[in-house]
Amino acid sequence: MPYETPYADPALYDVVYSKIQEDIPFYVSLAAAARGPVLEVGCGTGRVLIPSLQAGADIDGLDLDPGMLAHLQRKTRALGLEPRLVRGDMRDFTMPRRYGLVTLPFRTFMHMVTTDDQLRALRCMREHLEPGGSLAFNLFYPSFDSLLAHEGQRRLSIEVAHPENGGPVAVYDISRYDRVNQQVRVEREIVEGPEGAPTRMTRAGFLLRWTYRFEMELLLRAAGFLRWTFHGGFDRRPLEKDTDEMLVLAWKD
Amino acid sequence: MSPLPSPYEAPESYDLVLDTFREDLGFWLDEARRARGPVLEVTCGTGRVLLHLLENGIDADGVDLFTPMLDRLRSKARSKGLEARAYAADMRDFTTPRRYGRVFIPFNGFAHCEAPEDQLACLRCCRDHLEPDGALVVDMSFPGARYWTGPEGIPVLEMEVPHPQTGRPVRMFDTRRKDRVGQWQHSVVEIVELGAEGQPDRVQRFETRQRWVYRFELELLFREAGFARCEILGSWERRPLENDTDQMLAFAWRT
Repeated sequence: MPYETPYADPALYDVVYSKIQEDIPFYVSLAAAARGPVLEVGCGTGRVLIPSLQAGADIDGLDLDPGMLAHLQRKTRALGLEPRLVRGDMRDFTMPRRYGLVTLPFRTFMHMVTTDDQLRALRCMREHLEPGGSLAFNLFYPSFDSLLAHEGQRRLSIEVAHPENGGPVAVYDISRYDRVNQQVRVEREIVEGPEGAPTRMTRAGFLLRWTYRFEMELLLRAAGFLRWTFHGGFDRRPLEKDTDEMLVLAWKD
Repeated sequence: MSPLPSPYEAPESYDLVLDTFREDLGFWLDEARRARGPVLEVTCGTGRVLLHLLENGIDADGVDLFTPMLDRLRSKARSKGLEARAYAADMRDFTTPRRYGRVFIPFNGFAHCEAPEDQLACLRCCRDHLEPDGALVVDMSFPGARYWTGPEGIPVLEMEVPHPQTGRPVRMFDTRRKDRVGQWQHSVVEIVELGAEGQPDRVQRFETRQRWVYRFELELLFREAGFARCEILGSWERRPLENDTDQMLAFAWRT
C-alpha cells in the first residue's frame, strides 16, 4: 500500500501535533531577541511561526510543501498577519534578504537523509545568515534502548482529542531502524473516531536520519560554521543522555 | 584511589591474552600484499600484526606510543631472526623517513584518539605518510545498540586462553563504564592467571579508555583530514557494512 507524506493533509497534521508545545517558548524567545530578521526553515502550518509573529519577530517562512504553506497562509490571513512565505527546498533556496537567525524547529533537519543533503542544507542556511548570525535546530538523539525495544512493533505514539468534534485521534507508528545508516522508516496510521468504529483512517510514511553529537560537529565545521554549542533540551540543560533532545546552536563566524 | 596502570605498560601480560587473537591476520597480510610500496602499522604494540607481516616477507614499519610494548616487539622479532623497524611516537604526531603504500591502524587502535582534534591530527599525520596512490586502513568495532545497552559496572569475562607455559587458564575480565553521548568507554581490565587448583594465582588490574566512532562520522573525519575518497566494509572477509554488530574496515585513499 502506498503511503502519503505526513504533509498531505495539513489540517489533520495540525490536529496530530496540537499538543506539542514545549519547543515554542524556546524558538519564540530566540526569534524575538534576534538581531536582524529571522527565517524559519520547514515552517509548515506555522505551529512555531505564528506565535513568533505574534511576539513581534520579523520572521519569514520556508517550506517544501505547497499545501502546508497554503494552510499556513489561511491561518495568518485570519489573524491579520502577512509573513513572507516561500516554497523552497532547504538544500537549495534563495531568499531576498539575509538573517540574524535561521531556525529549523521540530526535527526537520532529519529529513536530510544523506551526508551530502545535510551539508547542502547547512551551507545554504549559513549563506543566508548575516555576519554574526546563528542557526538553531533540534533533533532527537537515538536512544539505544528504544532502538532495540520498538523495532518493527506497532505502537501508540500520539493520542489527542479532535479540537472540533472532541473525538479521539490516535496515531500508531511502526518504526524500522537501520542502525548502520542511521535511518528510521516510520509507517504511520492515524485513526480518527472511537476505537472499534473509526470514522477515518489515514496512512503516512516518512524516513528520518539521526545524527550523533561528534558527527554533527563535523558537519557544522564542513559547512563553514565556526562555533557551536549543544544542549540536551529546550531548558538548555547540557546534552548528556541518549534520551535527550539534541539542540544545536551554531554561529556563522 | 590512584589510577591503575595502562595495559600497555605490561606487555608480557598483554601478550598472554591478546597475542592469541588471529582472526584479522589474514586480512592485514592480504591488504599489505595489495600495497605498492612498504606498509606502516600505527599502534603496532608488541607486534601481533607487524610480526605476521614481517614473517611473510612484507616490508613493514611500526609506530607505537609505549616503549615497553616496542621493547617486547623487538625481542620477539630477534627471537624469530627478524628485524623490526619500530618508532616510539604519538599517533597524532609521528615522523618516519619513508612513505607507504598502506598505513594500518588495526584492532581498535584509533579508539585511543579521543577528541575530534586528536582524531584529525592522527588521520592527517597518517595521510602525510602515504604515497600518492596509498590508502589508510582503519579497523574499528561498530558501537552498536546492543553494545551500548550491554552490562556496565560488573566484570565481564572477555577471553579465556591457556597459559603458553603451564597450560592453565588465563582470564581477561572487563568492567566497563560507558557514555553514550560522549561515545567513550572506560575499562578496568583484570588479567587473572589461575593456579593448579583453579585459584587465582596472579591478578593484575589495568585501566584504559576507548572512543568509538560511527560510520558517517568516520567518513566526515576522512574528508576533513584531506582524504580524496573512502569506503567502509563490515568484516575482515570484506563483506559490506550492514549490521551494527559488524567490524568496520575503513579504507581512505590519499588521492
